[in-house]
Amino acid sequence: MNDFFEIEHELKKLRPARFSHEFLAQVEQAMADPEISGDKIIRLNRFGLHWIALGVGVAAAALFLVLAQVSTDRGAKQSESIAQNSPAPEPQSTSADQFIPTGATQVVYNTRDEGLHFTDGSEGPMRRLRYQTRETLQWRNAQTGESLRVSYPSEEIVLIPISGQ
Amino acid sequence: MENVAAHEDWKDCFSELAPGLLLFARQWVRSRADAEDIVQEAFVRFWRRNHAIKNRALLYATVRSIALDLIRRNSRRARREAEAISESEQVAEPQFELVDEAQFALAAAVDRLPHEQREVLVMKVWNELTFAEIASALGISPNTAASRYRYALSALKKMFQPQ
Repeated sequence: MNDFFEIEHELKKLRPARFSHEFLAQVEQAMADPEISGDKIIRLNRFGLHWIALGVGVAAAALFLVLAQVSTDRGAKQSESIAQNSPAPEPQSTSADQFIPTGATQVVYNTRDEGLHFTDGSEGPMRRLRYQTRETLQWRNAQTGESLRVSYPSEEIVLIPISGQ
Repeated sequence: MENVAAHEDWKDCFSELAPGLLLFARQWVRSRADAEDIVQEAFVRFWRRNHAIKNRALLYATVRSIALDLIRRNSRRARREAEAISESEQVAEPQFELVDEAQFALAAAVDRLPHEQREVLVMKVWNELTFAEIASALGISPNTAASRYRYALSALKKMFQPQ
């Protein structure tokens, strides 16, 4: 580190710009006024992406329900027409025209540590981890062989309380 | 433990910390006014939650958190951060009290450092945080903080090495 003594010395001679009296008065007012929230700048928008992911998830689920309804109707008609020539259904598929979940995967393709943050209502700091994932759900109709797969991106924010130092 | 809330004169405490905090906040926002809003927000929040003033890592993490949330607002994160970082690299308002040409050149060189290095440099040199405190505030390891600091000094030294 001695190699950098000179440059460090020069850097320390640089003085950060002073703040104005107006700024001090502004802070003084904020400190004295309980009506001025301590959360003036931070909005709940930090959860915005989370809500978007939730919205996408709900939309995907709704789409699934619509598609599943269409598929099961078609499956019922087909099963009526081919039931006589088909082998006996498997014992577990008693409700033959139902889609059965066959798999669910969640692939985390990015994790980001966003450092320490405050959250509203929390006394201490929390470490914020952001996970970006792709979730895939699969269903299969054992009777007709039709399958359905829904895949959507999601983002999850995890807040981990940090204990005192 | 000394406390911001219990501090007899918070102005003394604020006056001591504010220049460095403003410089730190200016890493993300272009204007001095935005930096002042961020620092005010952080300091008031810190004061109201009665945190120990000695927990500087937490104070700087608060500033950073508010700054990042500010630049993320109303837009996509990656684009806004890229804009904020590129904007902060061409700040119009001076961040230092410059007395001569050499200091002007040095300040300009600091501005040209990669963001990760400059962030650590600002915390270390002008805010006198330890590498452990820097690491805690940024969510990185102390070794990474120290490495970034050395890279920053090395880059600056190369720029100003005679001949």
